[in-house]
Amino acid sequence: MIDAAYASFALLSRDLRAVARSRSQLYSSLLFPLMLLTLLGTGVSSGLSPTSPRIIDGDYTSYLAPGMIAMTALFSSTFSSAGFYRDRESGLLRALLASPHSAQTILFGKALGAILIGALQALAVLVLAVVIPGIDLAWQFGWLGGVATVLLTILALNFMLAGLSLLLALKIKTMQGFHLIMNLVLFPLFFLSGAFFPLDEVPTWLELIGYANPLTYAVDLLHYASYADSPDGLIGPLIDGLVLGGLALLLFAVGLRRAPRAV
Amino acid sequence: MPQSDSDTAKPALVAQLSGAAFSWPGGRGVSGIDLRVRRGEVVTLLGPNGAGKSTILKMLSGEIAPQDGSLSIFGEAHGSEVRRRIGLVLQEPSTDDLMGLRETLELHGRLFGLRGSRLNRRCAELLLSLGLGDRAADRCETLSGGLRRRLDIARALLHEPDLLLLDEPTLALDPDSSAAIWATLRDRVADGAAVVVCSNDTSEAEANADRVVIVSDGRVVAEDTPSNLTSDLLHDALELDWLDPSPDDVAALECWDGVGAVMRSDQQLLLTVDNSAQIIPQLFQQYGSRIVGLRIRESSLRDAWFQIVGRPLANDERDPS
Repeated sequence: MIDAAYASFALLSRDLRAVARSRSQLYSSLLFPLMLLTLLGTGVSSGLSPTSPRIIDGDYTSYLAPGMIAMTALFSSTFSSAGFYRDRESGLLRALLASPHSAQTILFGKALGAILIGALQALAVLVLAVVIPGIDLAWQFGWLGGVATVLLTILALNFMLAGLSLLLALKIKTMQGFHLIMNLVLFPLFFLSGAFFPLDEVPTWLELIGYANPLTYAVDLLHYASYADSPDGLIGPLIDGLVLGGLALLLFAVGLRRAPRAV
Repeated sequence: MPQSDSDTAKPALVAQLSGAAFSWPGGRGVSGIDLRVRRGEVVTLLGPNGAGKSTILKMLSGEIAPQDGSLSIFGEAHGSEVRRRIGLVLQEPSTDDLMGLRETLELHGRLFGLRGSRLNRRCAELLLSLGLGDRAADRCETLSGGLRRRLDIARALLHEPDLLLLDEPTLALDPDSSAAIWATLRDRVADGAAVVVCSNDTSEAEANADRVVIVSDGRVVAEDTPSNLTSDLLHDALELDWLDPSPDDVAALECWDGVGAVMRSDQQLLLTVDNSAQIIPQLFQQYGSRIVGLRIRESSLRDAWFQIVGRPLANDERDPS
């Protein structure tokens, strides 16, 4: 057990170092949400003057902030998961799997990297949202409770995505195919998560699709933790937490369980 | 693992495949593989592209399990403790471009349970012995193919394995890199490790292997020391570029005094002969109009391969399976 933890930590350190050296990944993961917050947020707030009661005082930039945190977690975690392909193509993954550890331990160590990198970058966006003037976050659970909830939500979301990435990576043989499928899956999930518009104010068919979307529960929880000023929200933090936590556990466990020794 | 009486006097068995078989989707694979590897020996699996060498190596490394027959390593079935004692070098260099050389070794050392001063010592020793000492901090992306290969070897040796499995470790390397790698492997063998190497380079097998296992079409067709495999051959080998060689040509030449094996490929005949100085004039006298090229050399494992398998072994082939 200690050996397995040590091995997972060694793999995690290696992946963190790799990201630290990939400046373009670091910068783009922060610049893209920042750009959306600034341009889309300001544009919609000023140009469209949203009147939905879910968008407090018509301030769309602030409404967008929790969604941008989810988006950063989503895309950086997925990008890091694609490292699986880089390691498979370079042969490094085969070399790692030849170690005394189970395939689950090796893939867990690699997934930890993707999860932590996604979480750190999402937290960096949260910090940006806090310090940027004009973005008003409301911490209805208190500052500490809010940040803790955001952190747990991001971690659960990234565990879920790591499990999904693992399942897809074991099925899809090329990195190009993986990115194609992930984009096909992730963009609709993201657009229908409530990150860009309140789900209870769209046509019923769209709203129903939104409720079937796992990401909705993450975005809703992030709204509760950092944006909404009352507990009268869309779904409810308890249900959000249960659905997100349950899916994270399920997908991650299934992804690891299917890990093969030969790749 | 049960051993016969005759086995008890020999070094301990490290790996044993008995009647092992494995089929890849599409039908390629190996069958009926019997192989024993003992402490302190270098065994070369010699064969061309697709013969099944890498499949055998993958069974030994635990990457795939035999679908039929049995495998035991260090007297046990494959598992975590067995893998801890194996060092593996894959057919292609397998390093991460963004990692440094020392970092690469440290990562693998940690996966094999090495820590602290032992890990530092082993990294330093291997980087030095494989001529990588002054590149320790460099990233792998800056390394040439030969240096990457040396790093692969260093990684495989880091945890002082008792069984080393190497898939064409010196393919396309310069002589200095090959020599450095074999010197390092020989040191490990001297310490009692067993080495199994996949290769299609007969010269390298002849120079380094204690035992050569000839693999063709998914089966082991011969197995012996290089000297025993070549002992039946006559002294010289003549490679003749021959216009449209036919089975009749082969049959006729086989009847000549002083001619041993005669082997035919596309536009070539290969003869092993007692004395080339006597045979060559006779050949040109009788077949001069059909001989367009001639090379003379001492008979080697390459000719033994040809004699056993019935076709030449191309040295530049790769084995994908």
